[in-house]
Amino acid sequence: MPAITVENLTKRYGDTVALDDVSFELDEGEFVVLLGPSGAGKSTLLRLLNGLTTPTEGGVYIGDDEVTGKRSDIGMVFQMHYLVETMSAYRNALTGALSRADFLDSVLTRYGREDKVRALEALDTVGLLDEARQRAGSMSGGQQQRVGIARALVQEPSLLLADEPVASLDPKAAEEVMGYMKSAAAERELTTIASLHQVNLAREFGERYIGLRDGAVVFDGGRDDLTMDVVDEIYYEDGEGPAHEVVA
Amino acid sequence: MSRDRTEDDPAATRTDGGTARGGPRIESALDRIERAQSIKRALTVVGVLAVALFAMASATYLGFTLASIWRQLPTFLSSLVAFLTPDFHFFTLYATDQGLHGWNALVQSLLNPSALVDSVLRRDEGLTIVGGAVATILIGFTGTVLGFPLALLFGVLGSERVTPFPFNFIFRGTMSTIRAIPALVWVLIYVPLVGITPVGAMLAVGTDTVGNLGRLFTDELEEVEDGPIEAISSTGASSSQTVVFGMLSQVSTSFVAWTLYILEINVRIAVSLGVVGAGGIGQYVKGRIGLLNFSQAAAGILMIIAIVLTVELASSRLRARLRPGEHESRSIVDVIMGLGDGGKWFGQSSKKQ
Repeated sequence: MPAITVENLTKRYGDTVALDDVSFELDEGEFVVLLGPSGAGKSTLLRLLNGLTTPTEGGVYIGDDEVTGKRSDIGMVFQMHYLVETMSAYRNALTGALSRADFLDSVLTRYGREDKVRALEALDTVGLLDEARQRAGSMSGGQQQRVGIARALVQEPSLLLADEPVASLDPKAAEEVMGYMKSAAAERELTTIASLHQVNLAREFGERYIGLRDGAVVFDGGRDDLTMDVVDEIYYEDGEGPAHEVVA
Repeated sequence: MSRDRTEDDPAATRTDGGTARGGPRIESALDRIERAQSIKRALTVVGVLAVALFAMASATYLGFTLASIWRQLPTFLSSLVAFLTPDFHFFTLYATDQGLHGWNALVQSLLNPSALVDSVLRRDEGLTIVGGAVATILIGFTGTVLGFPLALLFGVLGSERVTPFPFNFIFRGTMSTIRAIPALVWVLIYVPLVGITPVGAMLAVGTDTVGNLGRLFTDELEEVEDGPIEAISSTGASSSQTVVFGMLSQVSTSFVAWTLYILEINVRIAVSLGVVGAGGIGQYVKGRIGLLNFSQAAAGILMIIAIVLTVELASSRLRARLRPGEHESRSIVDVIMGLGDGGKWFGQSSKKQ
């Protein structure tokens, strides 16, 4: 049975079709990169996957369970990391365990020992164990994004989503963040969907690629199938574009 | 980023990184964090206890005892009950003359608009709620208008960019001194000049405005961009032209916004000046409570709430419209027309799609 099933997913905002009859299945532990130009529907798809918005038609299923709202077993990594900058990296990571703690305990940082260990393990996974007590606001952009990944991991998700997680980082930090995300997913056999703008990063870290254009899937395949022509087709309507010229 | 050892080689962490659940490294890190946290927690508890104890000691010093509060509680509660049944007998001269009481006096007065105008115009014949409310608003308004030019002068001259360093403190110091004296004291200072009257209240609000608004102007001027100032002065403009075109033109909308904000505050100050006898709705409430007529005082308090909220709502709507970048049209005419849109008054944004 597939881990994630997306079935005839359509999302319309008034007359605008943001997502048009998208279907695919993901196996447990697959690392999928979502490609497509701005406005192709990548963000809409991710928002539908984690229940932040409801589909006009079709549905998303985790196992047999339909996603109908926000849920703790889907972790999300945001483009601008969205950490609480006044809290330490450790306490930021611990917010991933909020759904397992009641209000008073969480306010007093009285989480179960398991969750504390989980938070530190997640920080260790992203290489920040020694920086656990550092204030998130004083960290570099790459480190902050890695704390963001740790927070999602502490949720113990069955699906990890990342919405352009490295779009605001320099190339070196972007490479590192993607590396940590990939290894975290591999370590935990975590099904992951990340939208990316940088084709070179996508080629380096992706295993499977889903290309979106104008809300529809125009490509779904592995690394070997992702040729420059395919990239051109995803990003430029007629297969004619700068990428083509670079190859030529 | 080079200070971060692990960042250089993600691959290394991938192979040796903590896959083992609760390994020794995790354990020791957790211990360290827990220890730091318990120290922090203990310090927080001690701090909270110290503040609580000091507050209790202070309250005792001020003569607070639970017993005295408890003894007076029934009396207080019965006065509160009177507040629940406001009596608008003095809402207008008309209501008083007709011997109307309770909410009926309000309704009958509103159904008879000439009664409202009458009460405002014949304010010598008795302090009504409507007359007092109008007087309070006018005290706040005229006080703001009176204080504005001096606030502008002192505020601009107090800025280091306009007046060189030691001299700008003459103006800053004047404004600080004015601010240190509350409007309630200013109204007393003006007693030899005009007595405790609405005119004194107006002067007190005006003086207060010079201190408060001037300070806001100075702060605002500290944040203007240097570039345009330099550009204007490089055109060969005189230094006063540079101040007007390079600095003031950058902050004109925010100056208007701050003035509206001070107007809000001034109306509230005008209410409190009435309580010391300087006219307006505050004086009405003070008088009724002095006679222990809590129902009639309650009617005045409801009116205070109404005028303060109205002024606040109008001013904050205007200020929101003045803020740059939020609305495509920002001319003052559009701003005033925008006030007609009732939905926006309650924060329903026009941005909603």
